Amino acid sequence: MPTGLDNLKHIVVLMMENRSFDHMLGSLAAADPRIDGVTSQLSNPDTTGAAVKAQPLAEFQGQLNPDPDHHFPAVDLQIFGGDTSSNRAPNMQGFVKSYFNQRRDVNHSQKIMYYFRQDDLPVLTTLALEFAVFNRWFASIPGPTICNRAFAHYGTSFGRVDMNPFDIIEPFKSIYTRLVNATPKHTAKVYYYDTTSSTMEVVNLLQNQPELFGTYKQFLKDCDKGILPEYSFVEPNYNDHETDSGEEIANDQHPDHDVQAGELLIAEVYMRIKRNPQLWASTALLVVYDEHGGIYDHVVPPSCVPDKFSASASSTGTGMEFKFDRLGVRVPAILISPWIPKGTVENRVFDHASIPATITKFFLGDDPQRSPRELNADVFIEPKGAPVDPKRNLLSLDVMRKDCPEFDV
Amino acid sequence: MVLIRVPRPSKKKAMNLDRPVSSLLLTQVRHLQHAERRLPLRYRTEIYTHAIRTEGQAAQYIREVTEAIHKAHEDAVALRTKLARKRKSGLAIAATTERPARKRPAKAKATPKKKKR
Repeated sequence: MPTGLDNLKHIVVLMMENRSFDHMLGSLAAADPRIDGVTSQLSNPDTTGAAVKAQPLAEFQGQLNPDPDHHFPAVDLQIFGGDTSSNRAPNMQGFVKSYFNQRRDVNHSQKIMYYFRQDDLPVLTTLALEFAVFNRWFASIPGPTICNRAFAHYGTSFGRVDMNPFDIIEPFKSIYTRLVNATPKHTAKVYYYDTTSSTMEVVNLLQNQPELFGTYKQFLKDCDKGILPEYSFVEPNYNDHETDSGEEIANDQHPDHDVQAGELLIAEVYMRIKRNPQLWASTALLVVYDEHGGIYDHVVPPSCVPDKFSASASSTGTGMEFKFDRLGVRVPAILISPWIPKGTVENRVFDHASIPATITKFFLGDDPQRSPRELNADVFIEPKGAPVDPKRNLLSLDVMRKDCPEFDV
Repeated sequence: MVLIRVPRPSKKKAMNLDRPVSSLLLTQVRHLQHAERRLPLRYRTEIYTHAIRTEGQAAQYIREVTEAIHKAHEDAVALRTKLARKRKSGLAIAATTERPARKRPAKAKATPKKKKR
């Protein structure tokens, strides 16, 4: 077993909100051509037919207002450019058209093509260049938050492509239930920011298993004490609010929340793990975004193995049934560990079903009672106990790195 | 080791409790309302969710229901523990009441002694 994997005891996932890969990390193509980011060739037609180029003009707040549509029909338009024929091919040419539908303002609709410069996002871009950045991590569904986050928790959305409450359908279980009910018992926790931000997994997890939850403050303390559970899922602050200790601004990066606040959160999570030497040596941190939020990305989402469920033509809102046989738009994803070589660029295809797939295989070995999508999802950390293919193992260093960056948080 | 400065957002500029509530937060409110309906009446809020218009209003509802869900579960656990203790002590009482029952024949044996008087 490679040393990094042998040392690994904790996996932490920090899932941010609604930004595409090109929007956040697209600028890195200039820094490292292996990163599949933005080039000068990329454009989308606006509603006048003029080509709108991707430009490094993204702002931290105030630009993407109204919130770009990212419900199933809008994402269908974004991916297929408005083609609804039976033999259509995805072309990523409908982003500007889709955003135009919301404000009917041609100039404003072009802002959906804007991306951040490398210097704008010192935390995310540094982590991407220093550790492993995924060129092909996609949202699980071409749709909104709740059903995409469901894939991270359950490996399926149980046939949902929307934001409505859903019920867990047996035999599938959440990754937390799998871990805490296993013999021997494993540990898992969802850390929401605080009770005023709460969680996006209300109807099943919070309502039925509130003991699974902790606050972000507790996460920080658990890092300091070195008592993180084996699996931690961290949720950002979803809203601006006041607390007894002062004002908290949303740091989920959901438009139109401040992107810099999210940068600070990512840096704080990273540094809190890093400041505890034992925890740093035994933890892998995945920073990933739940979906693209309607913002431009140039990579065509690939088709995939269909899920056990399907969404009817009426529930997709497109007039077409969806068999969960295509991934959503590409999102930023970075795996962080001192056992990962600097500048790792991973080209395998992942989606959020890879999260429970990886956690299950790493901590539990296997569980056949998983959705077809999860069973077919690739893992980003190689399972313990199996012979490890060095080409697939991202935590491949024999000696822990001492040159990892630090942030002033 | 490189130390990287992280720019801080201006709270004054970024904070806006009056920002119109996003569809994501409205969804979260809807999900919490779904959960709130299953809570015993005494835990429910008196907030009319259809009147939520701002992020600040949504935040208040989210906090109240999240806390109520935790409180309801904590109270249920405490009640279960209390009942389990009662059952245990009830069993103990039952056990002690069983002992005299076993002693009764002995008392019955004592009565003939009285007769002897």
